This record gives sequence, structure tokens and C-alpha cells, in this order.
Amino acid sequence: MSDIDVRFSPSTAQDAGSFRLIELPPELCQLIESTMNAPSHAQSTLCVKGSIAEDAVLCTADKTYALRSVQLSNTLLVTTPSRTDSGRAVNVRDQIHEVLELAPSVPKLHKLPMFLKGAQYDEGDEDRRVTLVKYTYDQALSEIQASEAEFQRGLKEKRILVLDGYLRPIVPTHLSTILELILSYMVTLSLSYQAAGVEELVSTLADEHEIPREVSGQIISWFGPVKEGLWEMDVKAVVAEIGLEILRHYKHEPIMESEFLSKWKNKIGDTFEAFLALELLTGNYLRSQDNSGGAALTYFPASGLQVDPAARFTELFLTKQRWKSNDIEPFLSDIAVNSKERDKLLLKYARAITTPEGTWYTSRVGYNN
Amino acid sequence: MIIPVTISRSSQFSTKLPPQLVTLGHDELFLIELQGTLDVEGTEKEDKDGQLIGTLNTTDMNKPTLTIGYHLLEGKVVNLAKPLGVLHKQASAPVGGESTSSESQEEVGVGTKWDVIAVVKKKMVFSKRPMPIATGKPASKAPSSRRA
Repeated sequence: MSDIDVRFSPSTAQDAGSFRLIELPPELCQLIESTMNAPSHAQSTLCVKGSIAEDAVLCTADKTYALRSVQLSNTLLVTTPSRTDSGRAVNVRDQIHEVLELAPSVPKLHKLPMFLKGAQYDEGDEDRRVTLVKYTYDQALSEIQASEAEFQRGLKEKRILVLDGYLRPIVPTHLSTILELILSYMVTLSLSYQAAGVEELVSTLADEHEIPREVSGQIISWFGPVKEGLWEMDVKAVVAEIGLEILRHYKHEPIMESEFLSKWKNKIGDTFEAFLALELLTGNYLRSQDNSGGAALTYFPASGLQVDPAARFTELFLTKQRWKSNDIEPFLSDIAVNSKERDKLLLKYARAITTPEGTWYTSRVGYNN
Repeated sequence: MIIPVTISRSSQFSTKLPPQLVTLGHDELFLIELQGTLDVEGTEKEDKDGQLIGTLNTTDMNKPTLTIGYHLLEGKVVNLAKPLGVLHKQASAPVGGESTSSESQEEVGVGTKWDVIAVVKKKMVFSKRPMPIATGKPASKAPSSRRA
């Protein structure tokens, strides 16, 4: 006889509501199963993060997923063997009416700069480590909805130093000064940018310019990998950062493209001039034709725009009524996980008009009409 | 706020399901899907504890049946569209002691932990209309299944 008794749990009050079902995308399923089958007690980092006001996310060591609850029309019974009568009885531990879905998400790093106002690191701060705002790495990691790997990448991209466990964003002008020094020392010390001795560079900066070793060391790591004490400099990224700092002064008043390029060239120097290109700053400027016929640039960073898609598109269309797809895409890449998601956003929030010159995107709602 | 999610390993000492149910993919847990909900008489919280809901017949795993009260439900084993992780809430002690920042206050509710206890890829679905049984064995106080 294969009749099995299906019973309520012996402790229904305790068990009810203590189970959740969560749909697993293939990579997460694999991660969990391999951890379950691993012989030792190794754990995979998995956690749910979020404040009361936020939508929760699930984070692995290197990915972030948005959590969404979906109601079921049927009931799922979570059933386990009876402890007392395992061959012949099972217990219903919980009755489930909803399933959690996971969707890959961009890490939500935008709050970071907000928390760090007042904690900036500038020239002259070498000895002063005390700031009004004190925000530690661990505190930030627990509050920011991102996996640790994405969080660390975010710190590098947002130029945030970690000094004595505290997060210290570096003031852009000071960063640019240090990078210009690095470029000139690469030449004077005859260092190859493909394998530059980090120790020599860091020591020179400390001795000649009193730049602390932790500071220059971290900055170096932001601009290319360091292997066995040798730095493979990402020249384009360094050149871009220096150009960006010049551009930052032209948020309200444009600068002629030719003038900008020559200022930029002067800061870079001859050795690295070949790496200079306006494309390095895509997503940070708007280009318009001046009355005199030349091109003018204005500082317009994607990082300064709203994160919410609807608000972002509003800002973009208030700035320029219509956009070519090549021009608008760089200003969406930080809020869309991939190009498919980006196209979905364009479909939802913009109207596409096809002309002989190509596709133009305009707002769905008329603002200036 | 961080809620840690641990992944637990199946212990060789915990009770296992009867062998025919293990074929659903996991040896300690499986899912039954019903249309509607279980309708239960009795108002005291502990009334339900350990009570019989019904009887599962697994002689033929292609056609398992579930008898609840006077109803016979026919079911089948189906693959889930996506594997489901089953999470179980861990009872937790309040978090005290060290915190990373001297000023931060741990919020109420921090200290909740969840454990992934199983990954299931199949379920046993009972979706056909129940058939009334003339001579069923009515268990006293047995709940009935009600189609929503």
C-alpha cells in the first residue's frame, strides 16, 4: 500500500508564513546547487538588502537582482516528511500563495555620493583625517543595494578612496592634478605605461609632492590592473579623466571644441597626445553647432541625471527636444542593464521618428509645443 | 539593512521522504499544488496541529491521487517552468554587541535570517475537478478542500 497520510504540521502556528518560494534564474540555481553539494562548509554570499522604504534586492557576491512578489491563483503546500512516521506520513508546513521573482538589476549606487558630502579628500588633507561626515566601507556596503563586487567597482568608478576604513571621495581637481603628475613622471622616470613600477611612482609622489602612498596607490588601481608591482596603465581612462576635469568648468557656458581640445592636449603632454579623442568623454557632454559654424561643448554628465527612467527622459527632452539614437544612448547606459533593456526604455518613454537622416527620438508628451 | 541568506546542506541524519516522493527531486521536501485553499474547521490556533488533511496514494506516480474528506483528487507530476528555491525563516536572537559605526542603531527586525533548504524542479499538481466518493473514509474533523 502506498498510502501516505498528509497531515498539518505539528506546529502550525510556528511554521505558517515561515517559508518563501523564489524563482531561480539559471546562474543562481547553479550557484545554490553547487554550494549545497560542496563537501566543506563553504558558503556563498547571498543576502537581501534594502531599507524599509526601498524595494528589496537580492545580492550574490557579484550580482544584484530586483525582487518582485507574484500572486498565485493556486495554493502551493510545502510538504516535508513526518519526523515520527517518515515512511507513512508527511506534514504540510506552509500554504503559499505567492512566489518571489528575480530580475537582474543594475547596482543601485547613486545614493553613495549623497552620503559622502562633507567627507571629501582634497589637497592639504594629508594629515587631517577627521571629517564631519564619517561613513565607513562596511556601513556603506550594508546600506547600498549592490553586491560587494559591484560596490567595489562603483567606488573605483566614482573615485572614492578608502582611508582607514572610511569612504573619502577625492575632489576632482586634486585627482586631475595627481594624474597629470603621474603622466609627467612616466616620462621623466622613463616608465613604460604598459608595465610601470608602482613603488617608484608612489615613492616619488610621496617624496616630491607629499601625496600619501595609500592615496596614490588606490588612484593607480583605478586606472588599470596592477600585477606583481607593475601597473598596466589604462591611458585612455587617465586622459579621459583629465579632459573631464577641464570640461567640468563648462556646464553653463560652452567652450569651443577646438579650444577645449588644445587645453586638453597641453595637460596631457606630447607623449600621450595620440590617445586624446573626444569620444573618450561620451556621455559627459553635449555638442552643438555654434553661430560661427564651429562646434561648442557643454558639460552634461549622465551621472548627474535622475536615476528613475521617467524622470531621466524628462530631463533629457527638456535639454534637447530631439535626439539621435547615437546621441541619447550614452545617457541611458547607466540605468539599463543591457541594450535590450535600453531599447525597452526608449520604446516606453520616447517616440521614434524615422527620417532620411536616421531615427530621431522625441518626448511622448509635448513640453515646448 | 542586510538579511543574510544561508544555503543549508542536506544532513544525512534528517528524516527523508518516502522513496516514491523523492523522485520529485528532493529527499526532504516537495510541493503539492491545489486549486483553491484548504478550508479548515476549528478556531483554536493549535487545533490543526498534526491533524490529518487527507491521504496521498502514490502507487502510480504518473497518476497520484489525494483523498480529502469525501473528495478524490487526481493529479500528476509536472516540471516547474523555473526551478524554485525554498527559503525557511530562521528564528533569530536580537542582534546586540558590536556594530560597525558607533552611531548606528540596529533596527527592529534586523537579525532575521533565511535559509535556502531546497531547490525543487517538479511539483505534484491536483488540478482536475474533485470526484466525490460515495464510500470514503471520513476522518473526524477532517478539513475539506475548496476550489477558489
